[in-house]
Amino acid sequence: MPVTDHRAGRARQAPPTVIARCAGTSGLREVRAGMEEEGVPLRVEDGAGTALELAFAAARASSLGVGIGLDATTVCVHHAKRPQDSPVLTAALVHARLCGHNAARLVVGLPLKALSQKEEMWPDN
Amino acid sequence: MALVVGVDIGNSTTEACVAEIGENEPRYLASALAPTSGVKGTADNVPGVVKVVQEALSAAGRAQDELSAVLVNEATPVISGLAMETITETIITESTMIGHNPDTPGGAGLGVGTTVAFGALGDCEPGAKVICVVGTGVDFEDAAAGINAAAERGVEVTGAVVHADDATLIANRLRTPIPVVDEVTLVERVPLGMRAAVEVAEPGRTIRTLSNSYGIATLFELDPEQTRMIAPVARALVGNRSAVVVRTPAGDIADRRIPAGTLTLIGEHSRLSVGMDAGAEEIMATLRRVRPLEDATGEAGTHVGGMLATVRDTMAELAGSGDVRIQDVLAVDTFVPQKVTGALAGEFALESAVALAAMVRTSRGPMEALAAQLAAALDVEVRVGGVEADMAVLGALTTPGTDRPVAILDLGGGSTDAALATSDGVVRSVHLAGAGDLVTKLIDSELGLDDRELAEDIKKFPLAKAESFFHVRMEDGTARFFEKPLPTETFARVVVLGDAGMRPVPTRHSLDKIRQVRRSAKHKVFVVNAVRALEQVAPGGNLRQIGFVVVLGGSALDFEIPDLIAEAVADAGIVCGTGNVRGVEGPRNAVATGLVEALRCP
Repeated sequence: MPVTDHRAGRARQAPPTVIARCAGTSGLREVRAGMEEEGVPLRVEDGAGTALELAFAAARASSLGVGIGLDATTVCVHHAKRPQDSPVLTAALVHARLCGHNAARLVVGLPLKALSQKEEMWPDN
Repeated sequence: MALVVGVDIGNSTTEACVAEIGENEPRYLASALAPTSGVKGTADNVPGVVKVVQEALSAAGRAQDELSAVLVNEATPVISGLAMETITETIITESTMIGHNPDTPGGAGLGVGTTVAFGALGDCEPGAKVICVVGTGVDFEDAAAGINAAAERGVEVTGAVVHADDATLIANRLRTPIPVVDEVTLVERVPLGMRAAVEVAEPGRTIRTLSNSYGIATLFELDPEQTRMIAPVARALVGNRSAVVVRTPAGDIADRRIPAGTLTLIGEHSRLSVGMDAGAEEIMATLRRVRPLEDATGEAGTHVGGMLATVRDTMAELAGSGDVRIQDVLAVDTFVPQKVTGALAGEFALESAVALAAMVRTSRGPMEALAAQLAAALDVEVRVGGVEADMAVLGALTTPGTDRPVAILDLGGGSTDAALATSDGVVRSVHLAGAGDLVTKLIDSELGLDDRELAEDIKKFPLAKAESFFHVRMEDGTARFFEKPLPTETFARVVVLGDAGMRPVPTRHSLDKIRQVRRSAKHKVFVVNAVRALEQVAPGGNLRQIGFVVVLGGSALDFEIPDLIAEAVADAGIVCGTGNVRGVEGPRNAVATGLVEALRCP
């Protein structure tokens, strides 16, 4: 009986999500919260390596092209089309929430939130 | 053959051209330009002139000792000033409203109740209708759990106001969905124990009830007098996706007109005062009635009064005489986004303002001192000659395709100048206040940038929006691809593509909005001034008597100003275009070239 590999097809059918790959669990709750607030779905996977490596691999695997990597100290947000050594954002774990927000904003096309929340003008409709 | 350099000292740039003069037509070898040092027409200009002469000579490959004369225009100092007078102000006394557009408010709908701090939710009686106010440091899971617990006990939590960016997170965890407004920076100032309403619209929609005076009146059972008081609140909330209105007993939001003082315009025959708050149109109409303007004064203690006094004092110091008069003013209606006094979420309101540009010009500049110092510095004969306007006309006429009668429009940084040369050689000129600097100021203030350099870039360069890390969409709809990923701070933002690279505009304004502000600022200053200037030099004020208009000056290099002007004067059957001095210089170097040309046809 011929063996058919359906995995590629299954991956295509999976709903589009941002992927987070974590070496540990710290920061994950905050990343999830940031993504949820912006309304973008997230899939979490385990992984090993530095935040940068995890993020880039996750971005490559994500059908939305956006990945997040978490290691013991750092959160990294990456985009599949950027060079590996030039992530969108790298920050300490305390800024995990912001990284979640910005990963979602990459998908929906909103300007990124800055680390130091500088005050912005409201539009005058 | 004699080697001469024509030098034009302008308000912001000094230009020069090197030419050989013989029996025949002058032969132009090279030109150069540099920023003007010091105020035009003063001895401070010498370093700038020396620099530009040396640059022009080295570009021509000639030595300084070959030079037989330097020709300098009769540069008269022009000083211009700008001031802005805000004429309305929105003040909220006894904080009564929050109206802003957080990116992600939670839930949807309208909730009415009494404001209660999150910590005090447990003390509420079952059946009470409350709006929960969640302050700093409360986690979204705890907030949601607390609201759920209260709802379980029978407390009707109808809405929530939150400090952090948590609205969707909280709303997602509630058993009964309620509207949640977040990112309220001054949440601790929300008065507690007061009746309040929270409204959040569905994505893509705007609030309907709190932006309607009668909607608020219905919710809070207001009488007609109170409804009148609340009307400015409703007006301030129009167009928002979410809002909170808290009814405080003494609550009031005032929409105040600030006394902005008066401007007195003194003409040859009459003297008229006009309130700054009457607006630009009224001020300019008054100016037309008193024309020719002899002087102008502003009420002491106002911005405009201060500006006019400063301009006059600076000029008096330069000219060494106390008798200095304002020669022209240009008023422009504008608006300034300003923080609403007493607002809780950093709201801005657009306040009306009038910007005023003024200029003074003296007939006597310290030209002799300038010429003497320049002669010493360059060790060469310096000839001061020629009225600037005459020289500019001579230079402009080297543009291919021009002929007398010709009018020139010199669009500079501080002033807009015009001159008309009739067929019989008579030149009439006029100098008006308001030019490139005013455009920059308008862009800066209308967009609330508080960054003159960025405003200058927005004025000079087209806009684009960074749509991905690798491409931008230009304002005309074309796309441009980049091989290197764009910086992340430009992502999804409007950017200016300047000489120095890409610069994000750190506001939430859309590309269309910024473009519209830029074009209207240019229109309000340059088109208005071009028409005003041409009317004053045209015979009988009739634009149709002018055959050709040549646009010159730094601002003529702008990518849209010459088109805007050409469009505006097209109706009068005028040939209008950007100058091309000697067929090669574009709108630059007209006066410098005119000085050399004048040697030929005295």
